[in-house]
Amino acid sequence: MILVSVSAIFAGGDKESSNSENNAVNSWILAESDDSILPGINPLEVKGTISAAGSSTVFPLSERMIERFKNEGYSDNITLDSIGSGAGFERWAVQAESDISNASRPIKDKEIAAARGNGREPIEFRLGTDALAVVINPANDFVTNVTLEELALIFSTAKKWSEVNSTWPNEDIKRYIPGTDSGTFDYFVEEVFGKDKEPMLSAANTQLSEDDNILVRGVEGDKYAIGFFGYAYYAENSDKLNVLSIEGVEPGSATVDNATYPLARPVFMYSSANIMQEKPQVAAFIAYYLTYVNEEIRDVGYFPAGKADLDKAKMNWIKAMEGKL
Amino acid sequence: MNLSIGATLFDKNPSKALQLRELLLRGLLSFSAIISICVTLGIVYILSTEAFLFFSSGEVSLLEFFSSIEWQPVIDKFGILPLLNSTLMTSFIAMLVAGPLGIFAAIYMSEYASNNFKARVKPILEILAGIPTIVYGYFALTFITPFLKNIFGHDVVDVYNTASAGIAMGILIFPMIASMSEDALSAVPSGLRQAAYGLGATKLEVSTGIIVPSAISGIMAAFIVGLSRAVGETMIVALAAGAGSNFTFNPFKSAETMTGYIARISGGDIGYDTVDYNSIFAIGIFLFIITLVLNIISQKIIGRYREIYD
Repeated sequence: MILVSVSAIFAGGDKESSNSENNAVNSWILAESDDSILPGINPLEVKGTISAAGSSTVFPLSERMIERFKNEGYSDNITLDSIGSGAGFERWAVQAESDISNASRPIKDKEIAAARGNGREPIEFRLGTDALAVVINPANDFVTNVTLEELALIFSTAKKWSEVNSTWPNEDIKRYIPGTDSGTFDYFVEEVFGKDKEPMLSAANTQLSEDDNILVRGVEGDKYAIGFFGYAYYAENSDKLNVLSIEGVEPGSATVDNATYPLARPVFMYSSANIMQEKPQVAAFIAYYLTYVNEEIRDVGYFPAGKADLDKAKMNWIKAMEGKL
Repeated sequence: MNLSIGATLFDKNPSKALQLRELLLRGLLSFSAIISICVTLGIVYILSTEAFLFFSSGEVSLLEFFSSIEWQPVIDKFGILPLLNSTLMTSFIAMLVAGPLGIFAAIYMSEYASNNFKARVKPILEILAGIPTIVYGYFALTFITPFLKNIFGHDVVDVYNTASAGIAMGILIFPMIASMSEDALSAVPSGLRQAAYGLGATKLEVSTGIIVPSAISGIMAAFIVGLSRAVGETMIVALAAGAGSNFTFNPFKSAETMTGYIARISGGDIGYDTVDYNSIFAIGIFLFIITLVLNIISQKIIGRYREIYD
């Protein structure tokens, strides 16, 4: 829904930009690195614009990493649009307009095919883990935990809370869910409804929005409301919302790390080798992102990926840049 | 040839330069007029071809489009009624607010207020119409909705509801109706007024019995222009009316309007040739037809009920 752009003052066309082409393409690579796999990145030397678009779940994390990248000296323009994973792939794979696609679900086969049609072989970078948060209004005192079956009922055929559990009040369930372009929507449909969108979209009193803040506002304002979105949006609004336990497990660092929370899911960023090689600034940004993501991720409201997954993402980067370093 | 008439009135031998200037001016003016027509035709063309794609896709029939009460294109439910109903509800509520307010303000300004007061107030009213609609949207969401909740109960009024959007839209439209109606009232020749006063009528009798009926065509036209503005208004309903189709007549429930749906779906980058994408054009052409019909009606009313004073 809402497009949010983070942009910096455009760097003036001074002599730095003209002679950067004469120097080694990758003048931003440092001799020393904070990472055991990736080379060190000097954001001061990174030139050129970067465009990223996609998941609203990934948005706060990327926003934070961009802020840090800029604080450390990158002075060109990065645009970051929060439009939903599906729309992000539409822009990256089908229209071939953006450099990076943020996603809260893995890329689909038809999106891979579309990307290949545009000469882009998708490379996946695991960024971290989200604990999809199912949230209710703080005034709601009758539910603190739901099973996955109850969750399926709540978001589909049950019109009133009492139809899910007879001890719950006889009041309409007001549903606030991410839009159909959203990776969070797709993930929820897959986990809770076995890939069938129909029940959730047919439910009464359902508000859909690609903008998670609209969902937050909806749940915040209604005692009998329920909604779900990425954990960061709960973390940011934890004073206005309550989060439910799923199958008796509360989302949080411990339950995500030990893999007991049922709705924990990976979040990703996609690009391709040819983009990274043609636009070294994109490669630099991704390397920087992967190097420092774990220092920021908990503060944003998500959880670090396992070491093996993050290392795999870093190795993907090395492979993509082969011969260009 | 027509061009030279004006010039010849003053000068029997217009210079070449003057003729050229007239020609250029005429060219510029007709070019502007033609552009506006071309843009309209272009919009109609795009809307119709894309809407045709939607209806010829085989996934939806015209009958279903106009009779089903469920709208959820992703799972092949294509009934426009919930969206249409919500558009009509918000517009109706807006007119409920803007109609009486607008006409009363117009009567006051035209018949009661001093010229000095009128000269000050009218520009202020027009400023109200110039506030960006997104501001009205947030005003509805953060002021009107909590206000309604306090009056009618927190469990009765949804966070997003058609009443708050309609009221905000009413406030947006009211200056327009007031201003247009005031123009119509002021255009009534003062001879009529004086005659009525001469017969001993009071100010109220003159206003309601003479002036308003005489200006009724202008007032009705103002109402219809206001209504078509309400039908097409997008930002307020997108923010405050709700983001999911809902067939309800309860103004305190959330229900997405036609324009709200278009805004929400086209906000992300949707794939071309998907049903979602084509569905917004079907709604778009339907909206276009509604406002076109309203405008035609308003033209007819002006033509039919206009009292001509010479």
